[in-house]
Order: sequence, then structure tokens, then C-alpha cells
Amino acid sequence: MKKAVLYINQFFAGIGGEEMADHAPEIREGLVGPGLALDGSLKNAEVTHTIICGDNFMGSNTEEAVATINGFLKDIEFDIFFAGPAFQAGRYGVACGTICKHVEKEFGVKTITSMHVENPGVEMFKKDTYVFPGGKSAAAMRKDTAKMAGLGDKILDGGTLFLAEEEGFFVRGVRHQVWREDAVPAADRAIDMLIKKLAGDDFQTELPIPKLDRVPIAAPITDLSKANIAIVTTGGIVPVDNPDRIQSASATRWGRYDISADMGLEGGVYKTIHAGFDPAAADADPDVIVPIDSMREYEKEGKIGKLHEFFYSTVGTGTTEAEAARMASEMVPFLQEAGVDAIILTST
Amino acid sequence: MKLELGNFFVKEVKFGEATKFSKGTLTINKEEAIAVVKEDEHITDCDIVIASPGDETRIVPVKEAIEPRAKVGSEAAAFPGVTGEVSQAGIGRTNALKGCSVLAVGKHWGSFGDGLIDMSGEGAKYTLFSQLINICLVADTDEESERHEQQKKNHAIRWGAHRLAEYLAKAVENETPEEMETLELGAMTKRSAEVSKLPSVVYVMQPQSQMEEMGYNDLIYGWDLNHFVPTLVHPNEVLDGAFISGSFMPCSSKWSTYDFQNNPTIKRLYSEHGKSLNFLGVIMSNLNVSLEQKQRSAQFVAKLATMVGADGAVLAEEGYGNPDADFIACFVELEKAGVKTVGMTNECTGRDGQSQPLVTLDEMADAIVTCGNVSQLIELPAMKTVIGELEALARDGLSGGWAFDEKLGASVKEDGSIILENNSMFCGDQVCGWSPKTMKEF
Repeated sequence: MKKAVLYINQFFAGIGGEEMADHAPEIREGLVGPGLALDGSLKNAEVTHTIICGDNFMGSNTEEAVATINGFLKDIEFDIFFAGPAFQAGRYGVACGTICKHVEKEFGVKTITSMHVENPGVEMFKKDTYVFPGGKSAAAMRKDTAKMAGLGDKILDGGTLFLAEEEGFFVRGVRHQVWREDAVPAADRAIDMLIKKLAGDDFQTELPIPKLDRVPIAAPITDLSKANIAIVTTGGIVPVDNPDRIQSASATRWGRYDISADMGLEGGVYKTIHAGFDPAAADADPDVIVPIDSMREYEKEGKIGKLHEFFYSTVGTGTTEAEAARMASEMVPFLQEAGVDAIILTST
Repeated sequence: MKLELGNFFVKEVKFGEATKFSKGTLTINKEEAIAVVKEDEHITDCDIVIASPGDETRIVPVKEAIEPRAKVGSEAAAFPGVTGEVSQAGIGRTNALKGCSVLAVGKHWGSFGDGLIDMSGEGAKYTLFSQLINICLVADTDEESERHEQQKKNHAIRWGAHRLAEYLAKAVENETPEEMETLELGAMTKRSAEVSKLPSVVYVMQPQSQMEEMGYNDLIYGWDLNHFVPTLVHPNEVLDGAFISGSFMPCSSKWSTYDFQNNPTIKRLYSEHGKSLNFLGVIMSNLNVSLEQKQRSAQFVAKLATMVGADGAVLAEEGYGNPDADFIACFVELEKAGVKTVGMTNECTGRDGQSQPLVTLDEMADAIVTCGNVSQLIELPAMKTVIGELEALARDGLSGGWAFDEKLGASVKEDGSIILENNSMFCGDQVCGWSPKTMKEF
């Protein structure tokens, strides 16, 4: 019998709700919570261990949580790894995705999770692990774990390539050529599609184009000399101790730093934690990424009204569009409250 | 315009005393045929070898494929501007030897755009040409200036193959075709009310023309398609030798001359004409490297489509990568002009399938038929016989082969087995319309 490991959060382990979300990672032998349903559906493996971690602990101490779990897993044998289902719980979904991505990369073991389509974990991790569309709440537990187990059994049977449309997991952007069973040649498919398109009937493209989320360009500032300007960067400039623990790549965290008393950013006080470029120049003079020095000169000249008291920072490399949009939506209320009129967005 | 194709169905090809066709058997006088190829003094060495479906045979490096054709009762060339003087293609009568093709095969030397054909086994499914009897012209030349270049014009071998194809079809000049295929499409403005009320469509072709230096690109009546702005072309011209393939594009994306001569999208549009569609004709475009050229061609296509009153278009590109920009630009211009468009292309999603399918994407390109992944990795066992030279796949920079790879080793193994990317399967993605392949999410 092959062996499976399941990752769940503190809530589904029965430890507690929000008040216990800082629960540090632990590993238990045997089945806990959702493990019963999963183990019941799984034919080719038994769930031998359950890993439990508080959602806040995973969210706030990601590196530590992942390292600890990595240590647990090194000591046991397992053939497949499951996480969740996370339903609509956002932090739980991100935690499931985070650990699945890590396990797949470090152990070369296939990973499977499940979450509701609106869970931010879907967009963030569907390329890194198999994510099944799940229900909104634990009412869907049996159904969601059965889907996870179904694919798990096929993987344990030695399968390697699975069609998204047949299995039902979220499309991952992994495209391979296949020979159509009906062997209908491309010319016939194209003309049939054209006839439908001309008639205004439904048709199915064979290459769906992802929707681009375009943002309209804002109206120009009418009087720059009165404007309150802020700087937001994806260049990873942070105080040297990186107080908000922003990740060096695939960031999910951001910070804002008070520069109201600074005429520029000093090397040694600020640095970049961005892993996507040579940091030497930015570490020596962080103004090359976040130009507080130039903005102060403009302020003095009266070219701009004022520089906003904080600059906002995260890391852009590997960061998904969905995460970037979430972080921006978290920054915006602060900027609006401070009456910021315009933002200069800098990268690297 | 009216074209009559006199079809002769070839079931067997053999060598004999006279070049002739009788009861399904094409007999070739080898000496005479070789003399036709050697009319070009640059051919230094030449043989003709037959490969039939089911043979345990691998053919590489394949540079071109041509269906044997000859005009009947006329001095006109089967490939005007190539095997003879420029004359109007797409009218009169042309004899065709169906079920076979003449392949231009390097005796030793391959180049970037050359491909591979397996006549049986697992590899056979990757190309249409495993289903045809292939009359392989295996030749070497004295084109020393490009001998060790990755990009070769392959002029002498390709032109030799066209002459050979025409020579073979001339053998049936006085025979009665087993089937007469009539292809007739009248003037756009002189069609019956019944036909005119159907949705009007054009077929927009983007043949390969990216090389700035002459000699590599597809040709229209012998004229390089790089020096060209889109124009109206009668579908019969495409089917009747006005276009020949080039020597540049990674092979699975390529349209051979055979593909032009038998273009299945045109055939299907003909069959829909007067029933569900009013097939206006072909807008011939091209593929270019600079943005200005891409925009100019895209705008010309949309303008021509508008001028002829097209409601819809099928758009197909002979290439991937950089040409995707031409494909998407043209798609967008057509849609902006109100011409409902369906695109035909292949994809380059990488060996892991995770790369962006086309270099550029646009939401307006909402109807696409996709025909394959150029970068799929393929492993095939050795074949008993090799026509050409197997080592060319690894040694000569074929788009889907390599001489060295840390993990995979060379494309050609000591035991004759091979590992390659789909890129080198001869005209394998069949964007001209044959492709039984599509792309799916995994």
C-alpha cells in the first residue's frame, strides 16, 4: 500500500478557530479531520500522516513553517501529498498552495488540493499544483476530497499526463498536442467554426486567450504644484531589517515606510530584497529605485505640492497578477486617506 | 477562372525502361529522370529512391515535397517562374499524379528548415507524408558557400525536385485521367443572387517570407514573397503551382509545395461555396520581421477584405514565434474591420507545455484552430533503412535536432534511435488544414 500525507489547518484539526491561527506546525500519525473522508475515498494509498499548521503561522512565518514541515517530511516516506480542501477560506487556500508548491519542488511528489473558485489560492497556485474546484464550505467536504482522491489514485497508478477537461481540475496553462479521436482535420474545424461565428452561434476556440485586465489611464493632474505625490515600488526597497518580511520573489506581502524626515534614502539604512536583479547599485543608493532625493528637490522647487509621508514597497518578480492586485487594493485606502493625488510606480 | 485537374491515382512506383503510368503503377526510367535533375550543373550527385507507406524507412533531411503535375495541351510550366517562364496558373488543364510526392532529400547535408519522415511505426503519425508513396530525389550539390551554413537555400535540390515532379507528370500527357476535378470560381461581382446572399468569406494565407536575403522564402510565380504587399489571388492559382515552398521555417510549421497544391482549407471552402458560404477567394499575405512591415501587411489584408465585401475570413500562418505577431496583428485588423475571423496556427508551449502559446495574444483573436506544439519531445526507435543521412538531424542544425545536450545526449544515437522536437517533423503541424491534432490543457 502506498502512502499519502495530508496538510490541514488548525480549524479542521479541531484545535480552534481564529484564536488558534498562530498554531505552529505539527505532524501526527494517522487520520485527523478531513483525513477520514480522504482516506475513505483513496484506493491506492492510505493516509499515514497529517500535518497541521495554523493559517496565521503559515501566512506570517512562511519560511519557518515551510522549513519545519520540510523537516517532518524528510523523516517519513510518502508517495503523494494532499492539502485541504480549503473551500473559500483565503488564508487556508494560500497555505495549501504554498505547501503543495514546496513539496512538489523539493520532494518530486505530486500534490493535490481543492478550493472554491473565488479563493485567491486558485490564481496563485493553479500552475504549481493540481487544484480542484471545491465548494464554498465544509458541507462539500466529501465531494471535494473524493475528487482529490480520484486523481491521486490515477497518479499512484503511474499516470503522468491528465487532461484538465476530463479530470476537472483548474486549467494550469500546461498545453500539449493531442490527436483528436475523431481525426477531424483542422480545415474542417476552422470552416465549421467560421460558419458558426458568422451565424452568431456559440463556438469553442481551441486556444482560449486569457482576459487581459486593463486599467484605464487616469486623468492628468491639473496642477502639479499643488499635488500630493506618493511613490510605490515593486523594486523591493525596505529598511535593512525587512520588518514586514516581504518575500524576495513571488511576494504576497508589502510594507510602507515613513520618509517624512528624509531628504533621500541612505544605503545601509534601506536596501533591496528583490531577487530578480543585481542589487549592488540599489543597495549602495536606494534612491535609484525609490527617488526620494529627486522628489525632495521637486518639492523644494515647487514643481510638486508635496511628497506623501510614506513610500510603499513590495517585490514584483514572480508575483502573480492576482496577488499584485490584492496588495494594491490593500494600499489604496491608506493613499486615499492621506489625500494622495498621484502615484509614481517604480520597478527595478 | 476554371481549372481542370486530371487525376491519376498512383498505387505503386517502380523503375523500368520507360517513364509511364498504367493501371495504378508509375514506372520511372531512372536514368532519364536523373538527367532531368542534372540539367542543373550544380547537382553533383543524384539518386532516386522509392519509399512506400509501411516501409521501415526513415527519410532525412527532407527539404521539400511536390505532387507531380504537368500542364496539358500547353507550353505552360507546372510551376511558372520556377520550372519555366511566368504564365497564368489556375486555368486550363493540369495532370496530377495523386497519392505520391517527390521529396527533395539531402544526400548528406541538412539545414534549419529540413525535416524527417518515418514511413511506419510510431513516427509515421507525425507527418502526412508517411501516407504517400515518396519518390525521393537524394542529391548533393556544389553549393559550397552554404555547405556549412545552418540556413541553406537548397536551390539546386529544390529546383531539381520541381523539374522531376513536372517530368513525371508529363508521362501521362496523352492518358485519360481516372478522375476529372473541376475547380471553377467566377468573378466576385458576377455571382447569382442566391450565392451572393450567403456569407462572403476570404481565405487569408500568410506564407513564410521572413528572410531579407533572397532565395529562402516562399515564391509567387518565382517572385520572393518578402518583396510583396498582400494581394488578391484566385484559389486555383494556389492549387496549380503558382506558389512554391521555401527553405527557412522550422519544418513542422512549414507548408511544402505539396501542401499549397492540395490545400485542404481551399478544398473545403470550394465545397461550401454556394451552399453555406460565398467563397470570394484568397488574400495572399506574407510574414515579415519588422513591425512596420507587419502592420502594412495586416492593414492591406483588412482593406482588401473590406473592398471585396468579406463577412468572414479564415487566416492561417506558416510559422511560429515571430510570425505570431503578424498572425495576431492581421486577426485584429480583420476583426476591427468587422470581418469575423477564424485563425489557424500551431503553438510553441515548450517541452513542459507551460510557455505562452503564441508570442503575442489579443482578446480579439477569439476563434482559433490550433494544430500542434512545435516543441514536443519525441523519441523514436531505429529504422531498418535511412534515405539521406541520419546524422544530419543532429549535426546540421535542423530546428528540432541537436548535436549535444547534457541530459538528452545527441539527437541521433549510436543504435540509430533518435530524439527530437516535433519542430523537425516534415510539415508535421499541417496548419494548411490537414492536422488531426489539437492542443489541450493538462
